[in-house]
Amino acid sequence: MQTVLYLLEVEPIRLLISFGAVLFLVLNLAAILTMAERKVSGYIHLRFGPNRVGPRGLLQPAADVFKLFSKENVSPGRSDLWVFLGAPIAMFIPAALVWLVVPFAPDAVVADLNVAILFFVAITSIGALGVVMAGYGSRSAFSLLGALRGAAQMISYEVPLILSLLGVVMLSGSLSLTDVVRAQGDTIWTWYFLPQLPMFLTFYISGIAEVKRVPFDLPEGESEIVGGYMIEYSGMTWALIQAAEFASMAVMSAITVTLFLGGWQPPLPFLDLGQFNWVWFGIKTALIMFTFQWIRWSVPRLRMDQLMDLGWKVLVPITLIWLFVTAGAMLVF
Amino acid sequence: MLGEERRAEHEGALTEPASGRLVSPDIRDEFGLETIDMNMGPQHPAMHGLLRLILELDGETVVRCDPIMGYLHRCQEKIAENRMYPAVIPMTDRLDYFANMHNEHGYCLAVEDLLDVEIPPRAEYIRVLMCELMRLASHIPSIGFLMLELGAFTPILYAFRERERIQTIFEAVTGARMMFHYIRIGGVKADLPPDIPQKIWDYIQSLEDHFQRDFVDLIQGNEIFISRTRNVGKMTQEQAVEMGVTGPALRCTGVDFDIRLDYPYSVYPDLEFEVVTDSAGDVEASYRVRIAECLQSIRIIKQCLEQMPEGEVMGDTGRRIRPAEGEGFGRVESPRGEFAVHVVSDGSDTPYRVHYRDPSFCNMQLLQEIVPGHYLPDIMPIMGLIDPVSGGWDK
Repeated sequence: MQTVLYLLEVEPIRLLISFGAVLFLVLNLAAILTMAERKVSGYIHLRFGPNRVGPRGLLQPAADVFKLFSKENVSPGRSDLWVFLGAPIAMFIPAALVWLVVPFAPDAVVADLNVAILFFVAITSIGALGVVMAGYGSRSAFSLLGALRGAAQMISYEVPLILSLLGVVMLSGSLSLTDVVRAQGDTIWTWYFLPQLPMFLTFYISGIAEVKRVPFDLPEGESEIVGGYMIEYSGMTWALIQAAEFASMAVMSAITVTLFLGGWQPPLPFLDLGQFNWVWFGIKTALIMFTFQWIRWSVPRLRMDQLMDLGWKVLVPITLIWLFVTAGAMLVF
Repeated sequence: MLGEERRAEHEGALTEPASGRLVSPDIRDEFGLETIDMNMGPQHPAMHGLLRLILELDGETVVRCDPIMGYLHRCQEKIAENRMYPAVIPMTDRLDYFANMHNEHGYCLAVEDLLDVEIPPRAEYIRVLMCELMRLASHIPSIGFLMLELGAFTPILYAFRERERIQTIFEAVTGARMMFHYIRIGGVKADLPPDIPQKIWDYIQSLEDHFQRDFVDLIQGNEIFISRTRNVGKMTQEQAVEMGVTGPALRCTGVDFDIRLDYPYSVYPDLEFEVVTDSAGDVEASYRVRIAECLQSIRIIKQCLEQMPEGEVMGDTGRRIRPAEGEGFGRVESPRGEFAVHVVSDGSDTPYRVHYRDPSFCNMQLLQEIVPGHYLPDIMPIMGLIDPVSGGWDK
């Protein structure tokens, strides 16, 4: 026991072990999220959702994973095999890596970087690479269109995403996520989503676009390009892409909570749970994820040109204006 | 390289599309970039049935759209020549399988045109009642399909809930949920079960209560829905008339053509209803027309239930149906447009020739005309405007 504890204090080993734990969490989270997605969609659709495997259908993800493991991995004859097989990995790794800097509780963060926000921005933008690889490697017109849409969308929406972060950075004066959470205080009206409301909404919308969910699921576009960049994937490669999507959706909610909704901070001081404050973080993240799913099953999809219009003509100007407003307010007060 | 060979093979196939239509000249822009060919269907999960579209894309813009039909061809017209007159009715059920009742009605009208048979008024009212229920069961899901094609998954399930309830009524009346074989030459198969008029009345009342909430409030004002459908699939009145388009796709351009009023059949002249038109001629207008037609159908169903006379439901056609030599013609307003049947008799007990004019087939001509110039994702809402059914265009 003593040796184990000693080992945990050695920085590389601690990083390795805690990253392993986070990876475990991410993979399980992806499975739980598929289940949640199907249940939420079920209730919105006036049906039950999966309810056959296990009690109340709770073992459905396990059955899904078993099925996907036992499926053959088919790759198209014309595909560029290395690119094709590398794409799911290139998509999953960035989605999992961002979890490194997410502060779950005051001291529960794998790597407390002082440039965590920069790290988040840099790693998220790698995700577009995986989409392009998948679309290009499959060598089909459908997947190519999906990949081009994905690349255009993810790169365009990075601009409002980053600009909307800047307000928070200005207010807290730090690029470290733990500092951002500490600066927000433990009352709901001091969290940044109130003074930064336009930024919060912009971040939320471009977050949905960044993780490619309805109404911004154009790269997938299931009614015209039937799955887009992932059309040729099957079995575990497909599962990895799905896991990456769910992991990036979860991480986007976690970052939204951290930046704008006070991270682990309780909404009111007397609700402070001490070392169990990660519960607050979990509740808030789950709420944001639920709104993602709610939106997904409620609205239709945008078209590519409308998506670009929304990004460049609406969201970017809003963030720029609010950036000036924030800067002016900080000068005055 | 095997891949290269296959590619060459593939390109050879694309220069001569099966439809025989000439390929547009190689389009290159100022950078020397080519267009790409894309094959949509016949196994495309979002396509209405088995339709294959050969598309030529310039980026996301469709330059050419070539619909190729025939993947569900079942020789319906030829088979009809070898079957006795009443035995053709179950075959017509398989034409437009989303609005079977109208197919049966159209065929029976054509044969009754050949025969000298008087149809009891109660049978006529039951026919109209069933046809209008069928129109509801077809229009509501097509609104759901339109939303599904736009990427919203939920409305289709709400729509199918309604279709399911109507099918339950059909099951009680006809014994079948889809392939009814209910409207017969000279009348209908059987009278309504005694409790059914009340059940239909209750259902119509409950539908009226939540129709606005589920299919109008949820959809009509949605910003994304409007931006995806307004000015998409825009066509002029002249275009639509030239193409022979009928049904909601024609009425959404402002032409008030409806067989039920312009060439009245059955008891429609005795019923009060309006022809709904819209002036925009785009996908959103066709959605509004369908919504308003559902409300008109509800109105007709109520009148049918109120005015339905008592009496027989089957006219005297004789033991064996053997019309004299001649031609019979029947046309009905199906949910997709004008469904017409032309029957030629040579005096025997099988028809000499049966021809169906199916609205799905005729409206499909719009695709080639209005799709080029639109973006790729707009094809699906335009399909929702036309709302074709595979069994209809392929017969």
